[in-house]
Amino acid sequence: MTRRRTWLKAALLLVILAWCLFPFLWLVMTSLKLGDRALNSPDLFQGPFGLDNYRNVFEQDFQLNLRNSLAIAAMTTIICVVVGSLAAYALARLPLKRRLLLLTGVLAVSLFPPVALVPPLYEVWRSIGLLNKWEGLYLPYTAFELPLTIFILTTFYAAIPKELEEAARVDGATPFQAFYKVVFPLAAPGVFAAAIIVFVAAWNEFLLASTFAPRNPEIAQTVPVAIAAFTGQVEFQRPIGTITAACVVVVIPMVVVALAFQRRIVAGLTAGSVKG
Amino acid sequence: MRMPTRLLVAGGTFALIMAACTPSGDDGDGGGDGASGGGGELVWAIGGAEAQPGGVHQQVAELWSEQNPDNPIRIELLPEAADQQREQQALELQSEGSTFDVLGMDVIWTGEYAENGWLESLEDVRGEIEEVSIPGAFESATWGGELWAAPYNTNAGLLYYRTDLVDTPPTTWDQLCQTAASAGASAGVGGLIGQGAQYEGFVVNWLEYYWSAGGELFNDDQSEVLFDTEIAARATQFMADAIADGCYAPGYNTAQEEEARNEFQQGGTVFMRNWPYVYSLIEEDTASPANGNFAIAPLPTFEGEGTISALGGFNNAVSAFSDNADAARDFVVWAATNEEVQTMLATESSVPPTMASVYDDLADDPVMSVLGQILPDAKPRPPAPSWNEISVELQRALFPAVNGQADVEEAVEQVRTVLEDAIG
Amino acid sequence: MTQRGSGLSERALARVFVAPSLLLMALVALFPVLYAVGLSLFEYSRRRRESFAGLSNYTEALGDDRFWSALWFTLVFTVTSVAAEFVIGLGFALLMNQAFRGRGLTRAAILIPWVIPTVIAAQMWFFMFNVTPGFINSVFGLGDFSWLGQPGWATFAIVFADVWKTAPFVALLLLAGLQTIPSELTESALVDGAGRWQRLWYVTLPLLRPAILVALLFRTVDALRVYDLVAVMTGGAFDTESLSVLVQQYVVRTPDPGYGSALSTLTFILILGIGLVFVRLLGRDLAIGRGETR
Repeated sequence: MTRRRTWLKAALLLVILAWCLFPFLWLVMTSLKLGDRALNSPDLFQGPFGLDNYRNVFEQDFQLNLRNSLAIAAMTTIICVVVGSLAAYALARLPLKRRLLLLTGVLAVSLFPPVALVPPLYEVWRSIGLLNKWEGLYLPYTAFELPLTIFILTTFYAAIPKELEEAARVDGATPFQAFYKVVFPLAAPGVFAAAIIVFVAAWNEFLLASTFAPRNPEIAQTVPVAIAAFTGQVEFQRPIGTITAACVVVVIPMVVVALAFQRRIVAGLTAGSVKG
Repeated sequence: MRMPTRLLVAGGTFALIMAACTPSGDDGDGGGDGASGGGGELVWAIGGAEAQPGGVHQQVAELWSEQNPDNPIRIELLPEAADQQREQQALELQSEGSTFDVLGMDVIWTGEYAENGWLESLEDVRGEIEEVSIPGAFESATWGGELWAAPYNTNAGLLYYRTDLVDTPPTTWDQLCQTAASAGASAGVGGLIGQGAQYEGFVVNWLEYYWSAGGELFNDDQSEVLFDTEIAARATQFMADAIADGCYAPGYNTAQEEEARNEFQQGGTVFMRNWPYVYSLIEEDTASPANGNFAIAPLPTFEGEGTISALGGFNNAVSAFSDNADAARDFVVWAATNEEVQTMLATESSVPPTMASVYDDLADDPVMSVLGQILPDAKPRPPAPSWNEISVELQRALFPAVNGQADVEEAVEQVRTVLEDAIG
Repeated sequence: MTQRGSGLSERALARVFVAPSLLLMALVALFPVLYAVGLSLFEYSRRRRESFAGLSNYTEALGDDRFWSALWFTLVFTVTSVAAEFVIGLGFALLMNQAFRGRGLTRAAILIPWVIPTVIAAQMWFFMFNVTPGFINSVFGLGDFSWLGQPGWATFAIVFADVWKTAPFVALLLLAGLQTIPSELTESALVDGAGRWQRLWYVTLPLLRPAILVALLFRTVDALRVYDLVAVMTGGAFDTESLSVLVQQYVVRTPDPGYGSALSTLTFILILGIGLVFVRLLGRDLAIGRGETR
């Protein structure tokens, strides 16, 4: 019985790994291939192989794109989590009128098809000089990711037993202290989940980034925009090799960041259960 | 468990430091804003592989800058996809920005840009440009009887075929399908591959069938619809049959330029309709079954006489909001009429030039010599302001018909309505 | 309602806490949304404004078959992809929540699809499904099966790519939710002799409800705006045109700001309507969690 279960589990795990990793294997193998036709062959292991694609990627100042993306995504995440935490706490805990209406309003902000917002935003950004600036990207990202942050955090705050907070208040804490000393740490899994999600969303955003900072890696061009700007050697040729190489370069640090954050999600459990 | 709080504080500090130092870069953007009149750097907004460092557009820019140190030109690199290039130019021009002086425009944007008031007319230099340019390329730079851009480079569809499977290239479409069936069956490969996915390239391919059956869309100044539903039905039906009976290789209806090239290059088809860029790529690929076993020919027609091909390529125009329009005008005229520049396009890269006389000197080049035959008869898509709308509607009407999901007669009727609405 | 002397009153604190978020969102997002809604009331000929049009852009859109077929595809896509993402994401979350050998690797693997930029993932799945080069066909020996070249299968391919890409998002949110469920609860159910499925159904899922609702809400509103996957994989061919592809066409490709904005506003109303259902459900949970309604 248990034996069969172990086998079943191993098989399941294998399926999951294949499902998630086969395309990634494709990405890695393709990024290592040289020669035009090898890149497009359905045989993953048809060479020749080499690191030329990676060299090409970094010849195009890709490290600057990485820097821009990192800064913009980090800023977005930090502002979202800080500002969103406060709002979420108020929505979950504090006496606030018309809570549902507020939540709906918050949600509505992020629902308009973004492509229709680009032309008016572009005009405004142009006139106040936010084009080709980090601020020009992380401010709208923050605005569009705040709803998700607030929703996630509100549900997590709401799930924390109110008695804990009351106990703190009895001990003489102000409402604000009760929030950041007791509630905030307990909601850590939610906070970190929100943080990763916002980070990844800001990192991968393409539409606004390609309109507000389309060129110049020295200034604010982000990773996805840079990848879309790769070209082949001649017109029409699709630069699969450099695209996949850039993608691998991007994915590896992202997985590391995401894993680090995820650790915190799990760490929250132990801390939470000790407290609770 | 105060960790997250501390982390936040640390993060906040980090963020403030980061925000405080958004790098200023090298005065890359908006640098042209301050310059006005007379001297100053020109900015040429153009995209694609040849605009990258080392590409032929960059070499052209360097050549100009050497010869005109007072008005050097710098390329502002646009994205790879044509739609995105247009979008970036449009956003800038819509807000009357002077960042771009010279606009590298796809041949189908002329009318739209002109009608929006984004371009300086080039009517006063019409003579010298018209004299040297290939007629089709010149036509693509005009709209409403006025010249709005200077031709720069062109492009035309070619028939690639396998010399080990086919003795002489077919001259009619029916012949092509017969050969595709017999040669394809004996070699176990598909027939023809082209650009059959639902996008602009599909319209280009369809037009080549329609034109080669004798059809026209509009009269010369695009004031009258000359669309012939019978011819259109014939062309569309031919394509539908070719998909149904396997004359077109599997994957035709999802293929763009690169999918077509891959299929042909890996030996999957007998024939391919594609642009000249493929030639050198197959020649470099020594492991390809097509390597050493292929040649190019003009595209077939329905009657077997002449050839017709849809033009691609880019024209250069002067932005109406340029602070340095005179120098910009000099540049676009120079790039269109200077023999050295136009020859460079062909020799330094394989970008087909628009200057007719250049082809005489390039007769040794296999691609350029075929192009030299084709280009005089090649036709541009109408550079009408509404070309994008027309193209989208053509795709919506014809793509399902070609794929056997809509009635051919109804589809061509729809096309006629679209064309009539477009000028009505 | 007297408060402690130190610090603000709860009511004031609530307002102070909410203010920065609302301000930020209003500053950045409110203006363009209102502007776009305003545009939808005007008649344009390409980029040039012609006249005030009232609601005629809306009636035109609602009378267009193309709008309805895009709506139909969008709904089919949303329902199937979100359902599959939920089931798979929940499975992933339950798995990630357990201790077993190779957990680190599994966790990293599960996250990979989600951190790949959507445009690139779309390109990659195009390569996988398309006849040329045909990775899936060659792995499974399917010959020249044209996944993207026929109706039905084209939709399937897009849904598949979306599920692959975003199931980890659901997994992450649900994992965080699982982490806040006190282990005593599941343990006591174990003591009561509840089986594996019973525990999942009667203990875990009800407690996970808020996290599930948030995950479904944001997956749904995102799926309703699907753009990249469709644009790259089929370009809207074979009945796979989504509402956002349609909107993009009228905003960017064949610009008609009036009509494009009207389409956007219709899309917005649809999404908001569906979002409201979730908000109502969530609101109930939040009220219960707070232990008081007011």
